[in-house]
Formats: sequence, structure tokens, C-alpha cells
Amino acid sequence: MNLRRSSYVLGRELRLSPRSPLVFFAIVMPLLITFLVSSVFGSLFDVSPKLAIVDLGSSDVTAAAVELGGIETTILPDVATLLQRVEAHDFDAGLVLPAGFDAAIAAGEDPDLGFYISGESLASTRIILAVTTLDLVRGVEGSEPPVIVVVTPVGDEDFVPISDRLLPTMVIYAVMIAAIFLPAASLVDEREKRTLDAVLVTPTRMSDVLVGKGTFAVVLAVILGFVTLALNGALAGQPVTMVLILFIGSVMLMLIGLALGLWAKDITTMYTAIKGGGIIIFLPVIFTLFPGLPQWIPKLVPTYYFLQPIYDVAIHGHTLGDVVPELLIAVAVSAALVPFVAWVARRSERHLAMTV
Amino acid sequence: MTPSFESAPTPAIDVAGVRFAYGDIVAVDDVSFSVDTGEILGFLGPNGAGKSTTIKMLTGQLRPEAGNIEILGMDMPGQREEIQARLGVCFEEKNLYLSMTGRENLVFFAKLFGIRDFEAEPLMERVGLSARLDDRVSEYSKGMRQRLMMARALINTPDVLLLDEPTDGLDPVSAIAIRDLIRLEAERGAAVLLTTHDMHEADTLSDRVAFINQGTILTIDTPDNLKLAFGQRAVRIRTRQGDGVDEQVIPLDETGAEDRIRDAVSAEGLMTIHTEEATLEDIFVEFAGRGLAG
Repeated sequence: MNLRRSSYVLGRELRLSPRSPLVFFAIVMPLLITFLVSSVFGSLFDVSPKLAIVDLGSSDVTAAAVELGGIETTILPDVATLLQRVEAHDFDAGLVLPAGFDAAIAAGEDPDLGFYISGESLASTRIILAVTTLDLVRGVEGSEPPVIVVVTPVGDEDFVPISDRLLPTMVIYAVMIAAIFLPAASLVDEREKRTLDAVLVTPTRMSDVLVGKGTFAVVLAVILGFVTLALNGALAGQPVTMVLILFIGSVMLMLIGLALGLWAKDITTMYTAIKGGGIIIFLPVIFTLFPGLPQWIPKLVPTYYFLQPIYDVAIHGHTLGDVVPELLIAVAVSAALVPFVAWVARRSERHLAMTV
Repeated sequence: MTPSFESAPTPAIDVAGVRFAYGDIVAVDDVSFSVDTGEILGFLGPNGAGKSTTIKMLTGQLRPEAGNIEILGMDMPGQREEIQARLGVCFEEKNLYLSMTGRENLVFFAKLFGIRDFEAEPLMERVGLSARLDDRVSEYSKGMRQRLMMARALINTPDVLLLDEPTDGLDPVSAIAIRDLIRLEAERGAAVLLTTHDMHEADTLSDRVAFINQGTILTIDTPDNLKLAFGQRAVRIRTRQGDGVDEQVIPLDETGAEDRIRDAVSAEGLMTIHTEEATLEDIFVEFAGRGLAG
């Protein structure tokens, strides 16, 4: 194998990618799916309620609001700015705390509290911000609420929202199109148009071609997988772990793609094989969507061993150490695929030469 | 890049007793031939005769089941990479990257040959495509694509050129351009193996021709020797006689042939004089019992 020649094949793939409809499809499809899923299930455009505060003294309410999770708090310098920006819907609500507010509360007085709501804010957001403000004031006052609300979860405590359960679907689309479709279609095309013949009568070997095409597929798959996770807010603060998992998964799928591209006699056969065999690749996704199904079944499928780590890290907050066993299995599957791809490549090269 | 054939031994291609079968169908059987440096050997035979299979064994695409192939003194397929670095191959199928420009096609293959600082312009100039250098190959005509195929085969200034039906289906102008290029390459010193089923091409281009049929070589010789050996040494003279036409065939080996020809030529009403040498196709039929078109 000659890495320099592989780099030329990779360079050609990169150079031609803007002209390839399939590469365009590979890039657009995961973004489109993310957009659709996020629009329907509301994760992409879900934003925290935005509260602006003008503190004319130095109230503890301000500090407590800044500390709050789930609400985006911004301190503004004056009331005029606050009114202007709330009216422009830069914020859902604005709170004006007069000087000596905390002392007045502590003295049992009834100080003025300006609370301004943007006309364009959602009703749910208004309620959240109003109740939160009252709670913060009560905290400064030091009084106990008149009732204690006991939160009792009902149903499945481990319930994961459908938008989160769709995450593996989006990731597998992003990675699969780039890692399986691209090298497979590229190889079939080169075999059908006999351009591979021309390459293989130069000192270039089939292994050089496969490494070049495979590298392109893996790089694109990792990038698309990463962007998909980022768009869904699913990097879980562990971007490096995610890149590592995506890399391992992309290599495994790329090897499947190369084997497919070397085996399929034409583009129709390739798509038929993907349609028929796609269920095996997608199986873990179905079982994630329907957690009531027996969860040992997807463990029979190689893609489980990179989708499950992504799901566990993104949704359950696992770390790299937690998902190492699954990743090792994925690496072992890839290692087993390498000699298989080499065997299919030899067979394909001979078949290509024997085809008129 | 300077040609490196000076050090190549003679013959440049030496094939001895090679055999290849596609399953039960024997495509090439006990084929032996050689091509010297600067020589053009025409492989003449009908479709399915074994020409392309022979080429594929020479390029290293197929491994012969028996026999030996030596190219430039090296063993094929044992020293496949070293040989391929000095081969130029032009396929029958126009297997170019259509979505790339002519320049991009040549530069990509130059890189695969390890040629640094490759300039595509001079090569494209040689094949008359310099004006279309940066056009996508999908916009090229069939003749232009074939000329680009030739340019691609010449990227590494090859010591051995393997050309599989290089002018098949081309218009006469493109075919002449490609034949001129092949002659120039042979004059430069490249050994050229040319497969064709066009007997005119084989006749005009080849220093020697090999007749191949059903996987075996029937004969190898120069076109002139074959014509002399198998053709009729005679001239056919047609003269106008009143309202009719008189036609006489004068065997050249006959006593008094010269006088008869002189008389016929000086007579009034001379219409045409033709030599009666056999064509390569006639000779092929005599050998193979079938024509080249099959």
C-alpha cells in the first residue's frame, strides 16, 4: 500500500465532491432530518425564557436569578434600555428592582416591583418567569411558602422523550450516508465506467484506492455526525469522546460500504442490497425508539456498538470509560471486516479484469 | 521527462506460451510473440479472438495460467508495479473521468505515476486538445475522448505502449491523428502492441502483424511478406474497347509480363491498373477460415 497514492485518490474525491449529487445529498439529508425532527418535537427551537433585570440597588434577587438554571438572565444598566429591549422581544420579561428593595422587604414594607412582559412572549414563558420572580422575592424575604408542593413522578421514571430517542436515528442517517453510500456508490461507478481499470494499470494498487475512498468517507461521516449532534445539543460537554465514538462507528460503516461497493455488480444491485440489508443497520434505532421491545436483540447488530455509546453519553451522561466495552466490540468488528474487505477486493479486481 | 528505454533490453515485450481461460472457455492458448523497441506489432483478429485478454495479461490485470511474460526484462506479474510505471495503456472503452476536465484527468494520472510538476498543456497540444484543456470530458466528442485517452497513455513517456482498438469507431480525421501519434511514439523508441480488427489500420501502421483467432496466433510476419506469400503477384489492366471494356490479368512471374504490361499501358483507352496483391483480410480468411468482422 502506498499512502501517497491514497492521498491522491482522497484529493480527487475531495475535489470532485462539490460536483457529486450524492455528496450534496449526504450533507443536506442529516441537516434536513435534524430540522424536521427538531421542528416537530421542538428541540432545535426550544430556548430558555429570557429575563432582563435592572437592579437600582444591589438586590439578592439579582444574584439568585443569575444562578438559576433554565432561565437566561441578563443585567441591563437602566430602565429605558430594559423597556426598549423587552418591547423589541429581545427578552420575554424585564424586572426592575428599586434601590433598597431587599431592606424594604425585610422590613415588611410593600416596595414597588416593576415587571414588564413582552407582547410577543409565549403564555407558558410568562407564567414561568412570573412564578420564578415571586419565588425569588420570597427567598429574599425568607418566608416559607404557604404550601409545600410534593413532586411525585408518575409513569416510567427512566422515560426519555421521543425527541431524544430519535437522536440515534439522526446520527445513523448522517454517518451512514457518508460512510456507506459514498464509498459504495463511488466504487460501483468506477467499476461500471471502467475508470478503475485505468487506475489499476498504473502502479496504483486496489488497496491505495480503497484507503483513499475510505478516508474521505470517514472524514465526512465524522463531521456530519458531529454537526448533527451539535445541532441537537447532544454533545453532552464531551466533544472529544463523541468524535472518538463517531470515528470508530464511521470506520466500521465505511468498511461495510467498501465491501458493498466491491461486491455489487451495478448501482441497482447496490441500492437493492441497501434496501434489503438496511434493516440490519437500522435495527438498534428501532429498539431505541421503542424501549419496550426486548433490548438484547439490537446487540446482535454491529451498529449497536457505536450508536448505544453515543446515546448513553448524550442522553444518560455516561463518560468514555462507561462505554469502552461497547466501543471495543465495534473496533473488533472493524478489525474482522478488514480481511473480509481485502478478500472481496481481490475477487472484485479479478472479476473486473475478466469482464469485457 | 526523458524516455528511459535506452537501457531496456530487446525485445521490449517477450511472451512465451501464455494461456488464460474464463472458466471452461479458453481465451488465449499457448500464445508466444515478441515486440522490439521501436516496433509496432499489430494484433489482428475478430472480436473474441483473445486480443484484449492478451493485453490484460500484459498490463497485469489478468494472471496467465501458463507461460511467461517479460516486459522490459522484468517478469509480469512478478514485477508488476515496476513494469506498470513504464507502461502506457489505451483501452478500447473510453474510461475517462467525465466529471473532470481534460487537465484534471491528466494531472490525476500523472500523480499516480509519481510525476511531479506535470504540465498537461504540451501533451494536450500533441493530441490537438489544448483549446479544450479545462472543459469537462463529458462535453468532449467521441473523437476528442479517444485523443484524451491517447494523451493519458503517454503521460509517463512509456517504454511500452499497449493500445486496444485505439481508433475503433472514430471519424477518419481523428483516426489519422491517432495513427500519426502512434507512429511518432514508435519512432521515439516505444514498443507498441496494437490490437485491431481493422486490417487497413494494421496494414498501414504495423511493422509486423500477428493473426490471432480463437485464442491462438496463426502467424506473425510483416504485412508485405504476408501479402507476397499469400497474395497473387499480378496486375489487372482495364482498357476501353469501343463501347466495351477489356480487362486482362497479367501474372508478374510469367515470361513476357513486362512487355505485356508496357503494351497495355501505352495502348489507347487505358482506364485502370491495379495490383492483385491480397489484402490482410484475404490472408486472414485463408488462415482462419473466417473473416475479421465476426
